Amino acid sequence: MIRILTFALALLCLPVALFAQDLQSLLQTHQKVVAKPSRKSVGPVLDALVNSGLPQVPGFLEQWQGKALYVRKEDGVFFYTSKGSEGLTLIDISSGETSATVDAKTMKQVKPNGGVRKAIGAALVQFQLSDPNIERRRKAVESISQKLDASQIAPLKASVAGEKDAALKLRKERLTGYLTARFGTDSAARVAAIEALNNDLSVQGRAVLSQILEAELVAAETVPDANLAEVVTPGSSALSREAAYEILVTKHGFPPRVSDNDIRLALEANVEGGKAGGVPVVQLDDLQKRELAYDTLAARGLVQTRVSDADLDRAFGEWGFYQTYLEDDTAVTAAAREVQKTIQTKVSLNQAADLGLDAISLASIYFLAAVGLAITFGVMGVINMAHGEFIMLGAYTGYVVQQFITNYTLSLVVALPLAFAVTFAAGVAMERLVIRWLYNRPLETLLATFGISVALQQLAKNIFGTQARPLTSPGWLDGAWIINDVVQISYIRIAIFVLALLFLGLLLFILNKTRLGLEVRAVTQNPRMAASMGINPDKIKMMTFGLGSGIAGIAGVAIGLFAKVTSEIGSDYIVQSFMTVVVGGVGNVWGTLAGATMIGVFQKGVEWMNPSNTLAAQTYMILFIILFIQFRPKGIIALKGRAAGD
Amino acid sequence: MSTLLELSGVSVSFDGFKAINNLAFQISEPEMRAIIGPNGAGKTTFMDIVTGKTKPDEGRVLWGEKSVNLIGKSESQIAQDGIGRKFQKPTVFEAQTVRENLAMALKNPRGPLDVLFYRKTKQGAARIEALAEEINLTEQLARTAGELSHGQKQWLEIGMLLAQDPRLLLVDEPAAGMSPAEREKTTQILVRAAQTRAVVVVEHDMEFVRRLNCKVTVLHEGAVLAEGSIDHVTQNPEVIDVYLGR
Amino acid sequence: MQKSFIAQNPSVLWFLACLGVFTLGVTILSEATGTGVISTSFVKTLGKVLCLCLVAIAMDVVWGYCGILSLGHFAFFGIGGYAVGMWLMYARTEAIVIENLASRTIPPTPVEVNEAIATQIFGVVGSSDFPLIWAFSHSLTLQMLLVVLVPGLLALVFGWLAFRARVTGVYLSILTQAMTLALALYLFQNDSGLRGNNGLSGLQNIPGFEAVPQSVISMGFFWASALALALGYVMFARVLSGKMGSVIRAIRDDEPRVRFLGYHVESYKLFIFTLTAVVAGIAGALYYPQAGIINPAEIVPIASIYLAVWVAIGGRGRLYGAVIGTAFVSLLSSWFTGGGAPAVDLGFYTIQWTEWWLVLLGTSFVAVTLFFPGGIGRVFDKFARKSS
Repeated sequence: MIRILTFALALLCLPVALFAQDLQSLLQTHQKVVAKPSRKSVGPVLDALVNSGLPQVPGFLEQWQGKALYVRKEDGVFFYTSKGSEGLTLIDISSGETSATVDAKTMKQVKPNGGVRKAIGAALVQFQLSDPNIERRRKAVESISQKLDASQIAPLKASVAGEKDAALKLRKERLTGYLTARFGTDSAARVAAIEALNNDLSVQGRAVLSQILEAELVAAETVPDANLAEVVTPGSSALSREAAYEILVTKHGFPPRVSDNDIRLALEANVEGGKAGGVPVVQLDDLQKRELAYDTLAARGLVQTRVSDADLDRAFGEWGFYQTYLEDDTAVTAAAREVQKTIQTKVSLNQAADLGLDAISLASIYFLAAVGLAITFGVMGVINMAHGEFIMLGAYTGYVVQQFITNYTLSLVVALPLAFAVTFAAGVAMERLVIRWLYNRPLETLLATFGISVALQQLAKNIFGTQARPLTSPGWLDGAWIINDVVQISYIRIAIFVLALLFLGLLLFILNKTRLGLEVRAVTQNPRMAASMGINPDKIKMMTFGLGSGIAGIAGVAIGLFAKVTSEIGSDYIVQSFMTVVVGGVGNVWGTLAGATMIGVFQKGVEWMNPSNTLAAQTYMILFIILFIQFRPKGIIALKGRAAGD
Repeated sequence: MSTLLELSGVSVSFDGFKAINNLAFQISEPEMRAIIGPNGAGKTTFMDIVTGKTKPDEGRVLWGEKSVNLIGKSESQIAQDGIGRKFQKPTVFEAQTVRENLAMALKNPRGPLDVLFYRKTKQGAARIEALAEEINLTEQLARTAGELSHGQKQWLEIGMLLAQDPRLLLVDEPAAGMSPAEREKTTQILVRAAQTRAVVVVEHDMEFVRRLNCKVTVLHEGAVLAEGSIDHVTQNPEVIDVYLGR
Repeated sequence: MQKSFIAQNPSVLWFLACLGVFTLGVTILSEATGTGVISTSFVKTLGKVLCLCLVAIAMDVVWGYCGILSLGHFAFFGIGGYAVGMWLMYARTEAIVIENLASRTIPPTPVEVNEAIATQIFGVVGSSDFPLIWAFSHSLTLQMLLVVLVPGLLALVFGWLAFRARVTGVYLSILTQAMTLALALYLFQNDSGLRGNNGLSGLQNIPGFEAVPQSVISMGFFWASALALALGYVMFARVLSGKMGSVIRAIRDDEPRVRFLGYHVESYKLFIFTLTAVVAGIAGALYYPQAGIINPAEIVPIASIYLAVWVAIGGRGRLYGAVIGTAFVSLLSSWFTGGGAPAVDLGFYTIQWTEWWLVLLGTSFVAVTLFFPGGIGRVFDKFARKSS
């Protein structure tokens, strides 16, 4: 009666309807439901609230959802409250003004349950979607995107027009598309929405398609009257005979198959007087005898009869197996299938591009690790097994610098030249003390430098311990350059790529355009002639070795940025580095580049074909290199003719 | 006198530099031949091609009565076919004795199993003695080859060449660094060898070539410039121009 | 002929005499057959050292005599260990499984036994099927054949490819190192069929000899290792004497020259490479039952480099040098790393040898290469020359 009166009153005062129809009175019309909401009853109230168009509704919904709504016990009026020392201070719902402080006992908190809060949240979203605060809008869009739901189509669509942020608008439009594709009511609109996904490579877009195309495997005696995806034959790669029969067992009451283990258990349970199923127990170590005994038991009705392969064939003759779409609309599934196909092609293309980026990044790491060797081994013919430890030395230098300079960018700027200096010095010392005595004995050089490698590694362990030390990259190198959901590359790897390019350029410049490079080439090609022309071969060799080692140090800093710094960091790369130099062709920086590229591409290629196993990828890579050497013993870029020597 | 080795139309280039350019060459058995030419004329490359070390870009190298093509055969096969080579720098196995050096070169089956189960024979020992006699190293048989003088090493290498009993000997500058007496001896060894087989001597020293008293082939820029007796070629104006005139 | 072979190589007699005296000494002092001064675990250590000496002389032949610095011979050693380990593990597990299944009411079928063994062995890598490479594991004879065949064939194929392409010197070293790494990485995978990084374990339990105490078994392996070393030594000395040795050393010193003498160098290298790989496999097959466990970490390239280090310290190009170097370094190494060496107090820093031993080994190795290229064996050479 009161309701009708209020309603009439509201109608009468239409010009001031907005004033008269205030929130509190609207709530009072649904007082019971608001005070004690249930999932079932809350729907109409929410609709009423949303349709009222009152400006306070979003705020109210948030408070309601957040259990901040109180009801006065005596008259059922709703308030927000703030807790004071003397009790609860009441805040008027409509005006937001503080009215009075009362004893907490006179008030009752409204506690909606989880389901209700969710429903309130859903109703809230449409307000948040048009909230003036862009962060809130973003959040609302994200919450919709996390769980696509049919009810969001209308509010989302409504909010698109008013959206001012271009990126968010695009996102909203996309999301509307996803929702329409999945939950739209009009078949044509859905098909259109699906077809609009044609260029969408995102994980979510692809998920929408596969959700539309979700199918169920059913067994039936006649072709089912449903949206049929395909007919499956038992015994094909898509459905094994066992799995097919299992469906018949669980869904259509066929007798289960009897496994060898079932036979054993059944026989064990039926041993009588040293015999089971008429066969002496001692003879039952033979599967055929066991089956014989079991069949005897089955004939006596003691156990279930075995299901033979012939039984399976018979069952499969009568029953067919069908993948049926959960979606009934054939136009929609057909469109989705078509679009999924094109997207898959595009995804594979993009994956190939991503793989290419990965390969390039791996190649630049190998190049950095190996280019120092290309100089010491390639140009000078000195094999340095301690090269890996020079990489380690560089990485630890980076770590130590970070202990003193806490600004990561600055510490990196200091560490790079310092690492070069440290390993340059180490290289020069090693050349002076050891290598120069062994210039004509390459195998001895190999072993002596191996001794140094062992000693250095253990020394590093003694100083820095066995646990990994962090070498933290500056913040601007964190994160990745994301092109789309398929193609992305981390900034560190880009930086390493740039570093590798830089070194390629620098080395080419040093070797081809400077006096040092000229002298190096002169000494390597004909030391005696070079000496007679006033070049000091000792000095040149020392400098060259220092240069090669110094680059290893810089490579160490670069590698340390993405790998943990341990005493083994160098030995992880040493064999690959040698391979890179050998495959590329000795004595040539371009060769090292070619070798690194080939090894990087090959390794990524194998990983792509067998993604679970990077160990196998390395194994195959090495086998490939061994075979490759068969066809190009001198590497990809080989020196030809008499200059190559014997 | 039948043709033992015949090269025709042989060319090879390294990085664009034509080391041998459409070379034609013939030698019969037995015959002594000297090859002269300035540096870079292709003398060593010529030997590399014949012995299988370098594969020519084009041309044919035919060997023996059956005119077998040698191109594509391995060094060891060619050596087993009967072509022996002495290098410019004496290369003997310095860590082993003179006897071991000669024994290794003796003409015997070369397979690993043949060698593993090889038994020393009286004939073999006698052959080594005879060779040592020929190259003046009888006293040194038990010494390590590394202890020999430069000239003795050259002889030992020639001895190893003879031990292989080849049909064709390729000898690169045998007289380099030898005293006059040693040269005399070397000449004798080579001349005697040439009585039964083909010998090709590459030499710079005109006096030595003159003493060999044989047909001379002059190489220039990878091709034959002139051929004939030493007097004939030394009067050829072209030869004087490119070689002797400098 | 045999007589003159010994007469030509008096060092072989000397070596056999020393090895005999050593074996006799250990036998007298051991727990099982003598006074018990030497513990069983030390007998095992000595037996293992003898196996290492055997693979070291193989390494010396291929490197010191033939000039091929192979960084793959410890991989062949490991393959031998794996081959024998497969049988040991299978047979031992079979015995246990049959014992367990005997308690069932009805006797097990062969298929059930097989499945139970497979589950027992491959449970750790989440599999219950026998991989193809275990096809012969039930037979000791066949697995022993594999000890010889697998390293032999691998060496044959790899050597054929490498030598044919004329890969020599440090290139060959790097290539063999790559081969070793590839093998180790392959074995590290769980689906390699050899239990991934768990490796094979419990190899010290010899099936059929469960009742025999370990002290006796270890003595048996010690004698077998000594015998194998003696036979290997004599065989290599025989191969290296006479013309074969002459050709092989010639290949080491000047490979192209040997080729121009008409020898097919590749065949010789292949012969030596394969023969030494087979010997390495046999040494491994004797070593790992004494060690008790084998896993892929044993055959990473660094192990093969250590092998070269032992040979170099002992003095390459002499068979006894390899034996001396290996025995010396590996015993010294176990003394230092086992905490046997007393710590050195420098006042400001105490040198713990467990931490510093590798630094010492590394630097002293550099010193040997630089200053004593003849290694320890050089000293013996001088004695031999003085006495003769």
